[in-house]
Amino acid sequence: MAIRLDYIAKETGSNLARNFTLTFASILTVAVSLALVAASYLIGQGINNSFLGLRSDVQLFVYMNPAATQEQIDAVSRALDDSPGVENVDFFDKERSYEEFQRLFEEQPDLVSTITPEDLPQSFRIKPSSSDAEVVTALGDTLESKEGVLRVEYAAEFARQVQRSVRTLNTWVLIVGGVLIGASVLLIFNTIRTAVFARRREIEVMRLVGASNGFIRLPFVAEGLFHGLLGALLAAFAAWGFDALWKRNFVNQVAFELLNQIRWDPNQLWSAIGIIFAVGALTGAIGSGVAVSRFLRA
Amino acid sequence: MIKLDNVTKIYKGEMVALRDATVEIDKGEFVFLVGASGSGKSTFLRLLNREEKPERGHIFVAGKDIAELPGYKVPYLRRNIGSVFQDFKLLPTKTVSENVAFALEAIGRPRAHIKEAVPQILELVGLAQKADNMPDELSGGEQQRVSIARAFVNRPLILLADEPTGNLDPATSVGIMKLLDRINRTGTTVVMATHDRGIVDSMRRRVIELDRGRIVRDQARGVYE
Repeated sequence: MAIRLDYIAKETGSNLARNFTLTFASILTVAVSLALVAASYLIGQGINNSFLGLRSDVQLFVYMNPAATQEQIDAVSRALDDSPGVENVDFFDKERSYEEFQRLFEEQPDLVSTITPEDLPQSFRIKPSSSDAEVVTALGDTLESKEGVLRVEYAAEFARQVQRSVRTLNTWVLIVGGVLIGASVLLIFNTIRTAVFARRREIEVMRLVGASNGFIRLPFVAEGLFHGLLGALLAAFAAWGFDALWKRNFVNQVAFELLNQIRWDPNQLWSAIGIIFAVGALTGAIGSGVAVSRFLRA
Repeated sequence: MIKLDNVTKIYKGEMVALRDATVEIDKGEFVFLVGASGSGKSTFLRLLNREEKPERGHIFVAGKDIAELPGYKVPYLRRNIGSVFQDFKLLPTKTVSENVAFALEAIGRPRAHIKEAVPQILELVGLAQKADNMPDELSGGEQQRVSIARAFVNRPLILLADEPTGNLDPATSVGIMKLLDRINRTGTTVVMATHDRGIVDSMRRRVIELDRGRIVRDQARGVYE
């Protein structure tokens, strides 16, 4: 067995050196495609995480008309207290709304200075007892018809719209990644075929003296695996960088109201890296396996 | 050792390379295959190591019907059959001893065995002094000796030679024939396709003549024609 290992290392190494440009191209393509797949996976996980987060805390925002009278506000408040569909109500008067406003826009003092508490609508923040969209919508409709109510906003509905557009974008990233994986398989196939061609005399002799097909195939499959795994390694670094970049630029950044909801935990980054290596190895093995089998078919 | 039973080989569905060939070759025999170009000599040899499959008939090598042999067992058949060609088929990037060792490495023989067997066989073919030369530093006759060493290093039961002297001058050819004769005397069955009248006439071994795919003569201690 020892002789086999150094034989494989020697043959694989010389193939890699001989086809440097092709090898380089296929490793890069593998890396780019796997990085896209990983990014898409992380964003997908992030959407699911944010979706779950919102589901447990579906909120209705009932904004009162700034000119609403105290009676109208009390009437809405009573209606909410009596409604069985409401689990929890939080009233934001003008002062409280202004505090929140100042906090949300603390990086834009110019904006804050132009607004006074009087300009802000008072609102009820409602946590419904059921997260069923129909129940929530029915509750919202009842409240919207009350006097003095400016409008009702659905936090979940808004989030769902964001999710939908991010998902569409994500699907396209995944499709591009998939197409590039296809290109990777073809590139590896081509690289290995070139290597097989360069060594056709050796292969001919090996077949004549009775080398088994597995033995002839081994160095080439090892080479394809090397392409896939090295590409995966590069993609893993890219995924790690993407993770860091996303966290720094979007997560907990108020300015990105849509994207800051999308976040994933370290375990999900690790599974993304696991997927990268699995798909990379598979890509290399398929590309090289097909290339060698075609040549060896007797 | 070798038995062909009504073997027919057709290329591309129309060109008949071998037609109803029936012949038996015993262990330790030395057999010449003669005939014009295209008469089926090479096909005969290629059928014996399963580079080709017959359309009809059975081929027995060491008791096994190799026409029915599944693909994954073919390498093990070939480990018992050495092959020598007119164009040597040496690897130009490997030295003489590496070329011979390659045949053993390729079938996974242990390194210790290779270290021992390669110098031995190079001694046998008279090239011990050239072990570290590259093939292109050798004469044609020497290159053919290397190729014979490679074919015989695993001590196969059968040696197939397809015009091994085709590229060599008569004096060099005599040396190669002496080597093949020596290998035959160790009990190895040798089947050699040739156009070389002088060699066939001087060796006086069994001669099988092919004509357009048919066996037209099978003669013990025969001559070229």
